[in-house]
Amino acid sequence: MANTFKTDPIEFKPAAAQPAPSSTVGPVAWIKENLFSSIPNSVVTILVILGLLNVVPGVIDWMFISSTWSGASQDACVSDGACWVFIQAWSQQFFYGSYPSDGLWRVNLSLILLFVVIVLSFTLPANIRLKVSVPLFLVLPFVCIAILDGRLVGLDYVNTDFWGGFSLNVLMAAAAIIVAFPFSFLWALGRRSDMPLARSISVVFIEFFRGVPVLALFFMGSVMLPLFFAEGTNVDKLVRVWIVLIFFMSGYMAEVFRGGFQAIPSGQYEAADSIGLGYWQKTLLIILPQVIKVSMPNILATFVMLFKNTVFLLIIGIPEVLQTLLTALSNSNWLGGHAVEGYVFVGVIFWLCCFGMSMLASSIEKKLDTSHRN
Amino acid sequence: MSTESKVADNVEDTIIIKDLNKWYGDFHVLKDINLTVKKGEKIVICGPSGSGKSTTIRCINRLEEFQRGSLVVNGVEMVEDVKNIEAIRREVGMVFQHFNLFPHLTILENLTLGPIWVQKKPKAEAEAIAMKYLERVKIPEQADKFPGQLSGGQQQRVAIARSLCMAPQIMLFDEPTSALDPEMIKEVLDVMVELADEGMTMLCVTHEMGFAKKVADRVIFMDAGEIVEQNTPEELFNNPQTDRLQLFLSQILDH
Repeated sequence: MANTFKTDPIEFKPAAAQPAPSSTVGPVAWIKENLFSSIPNSVVTILVILGLLNVVPGVIDWMFISSTWSGASQDACVSDGACWVFIQAWSQQFFYGSYPSDGLWRVNLSLILLFVVIVLSFTLPANIRLKVSVPLFLVLPFVCIAILDGRLVGLDYVNTDFWGGFSLNVLMAAAAIIVAFPFSFLWALGRRSDMPLARSISVVFIEFFRGVPVLALFFMGSVMLPLFFAEGTNVDKLVRVWIVLIFFMSGYMAEVFRGGFQAIPSGQYEAADSIGLGYWQKTLLIILPQVIKVSMPNILATFVMLFKNTVFLLIIGIPEVLQTLLTALSNSNWLGGHAVEGYVFVGVIFWLCCFGMSMLASSIEKKLDTSHRN
Repeated sequence: MSTESKVADNVEDTIIIKDLNKWYGDFHVLKDINLTVKKGEKIVICGPSGSGKSTTIRCINRLEEFQRGSLVVNGVEMVEDVKNIEAIRREVGMVFQHFNLFPHLTILENLTLGPIWVQKKPKAEAEAIAMKYLERVKIPEQADKFPGQLSGGQQQRVAIARSLCMAPQIMLFDEPTSALDPEMIKEVLDVMVELADEGMTMLCVTHEMGFAKKVADRVIFMDAGEIVEQNTPEELFNNPQTDRLQLFLSQILDH
């Protein structure tokens, strides 16, 4: 057998690579392939272009060209375009609600802390990433509350009635998802558990908070929750809403995590078992890090959903950004009908944040693609 | 019953399986398996797929439950008790067909996880042990890489080293070369042969008949959940007693 290969070796030279045919690369080929590949496709392309030509110039004109950008009051807005003066004049309220002007740095500091922790959780070296970022995330909501509230850290006390604006939407969503994280992990574990009691409690909980509309939950939170507290205790409205958001979020995230658990091959559990790791060691050291990794895009998608749902807080009178906008629109100095500008503005800032998170999610997905081939 | 009930003082017999029966629902997968393994003995288990050979060795470290019969590993009887199961798992290393390395940990972390968390060794000592075994499987230079960056053969050698780090008395191999590209099978088998030469007690489910002839003290042929024949490799391969084994041998050798 072996002898048959024993001839004098001939040196093997790989053939040189040739360029791809020019009709398949370049912008012209791309347009042909994607926009005009067939007659129906070409018709659709032309119709879409005509439609855009009809709408886009008008929008650009309204938003940028004939709009008014500077001025002190709505009297400055004399043209047909958008009156951005309105947004400018109310920008502090839109972002910070009625938080005292000399304490705005406290809101900014909270937002910066949130941003720093998020960036750290993606940029720290892989071997310490979870060990550092998980504790940071878990203390973050309470640090932010302490800074905003002020009493614990020796700053002026600011009652939660004054918290508001877009910063409240962001911080509320972040604080809710962070605290929901460990809970949802436990619910997901419970739902996969062999113990009938743990499993049924988890299923009932998850399905309740997934099945009831978030608006109904907010009403329950503001009306029903106080019934459960001892008489005389007055739990802050924001805290009650926070609790509702945490439960709502952990119901959804539990299902995200469950999906993540199912994506982990059974061999991982068996390998951990064969080494002799106990249940919690196996779950926390082997399974959880992988679950978080595969669930990251879905966690971010759930977060986007929760973030947008924070505008429903206006229903129970919390001055988040949309509520602030409604207040501004009914102000007697600004009765010129600036609703369109206001809604466009709120839409754009939400869209920017959510689009940013989607980009983050897709970049994580790409990263996963390369590092998770096993 | 005490958690680590010693039932056999005869340490010569490392594994004693008596009348082991297992069902998946109504399906009877293992039927009256009886097997005694002596310390240092190398056993190769072969048989057609679905014959219960993997299930048998997975019962030994309780990755599979069994419904009837008894199993004693290193003098500890397997009973329904977490402490007891963990005590047995500490003595038994296992290597899987698909390696099952932890993809989120580096090679070194894969190896030190058990010593640090199960055996409570200090990190430096665990790393020294890990490097020792990585050198034995000849890939110390890969210590800081992640499993996904290694070839299949290298991953399987890491998996062997990971088991060895726990200083097991017994090693179980569940088709360790079946998922490998042909050119990588040899590097893994070489490590296994070396391990056998050092006197490790080994149970190996494999179709590598060359390995069986070279290393095994005993080859066991299983079919339909039963041990059909067992003998030395020469006897078993050259002088099969049952038509079932003859058919199996003709199928795996004639290609």
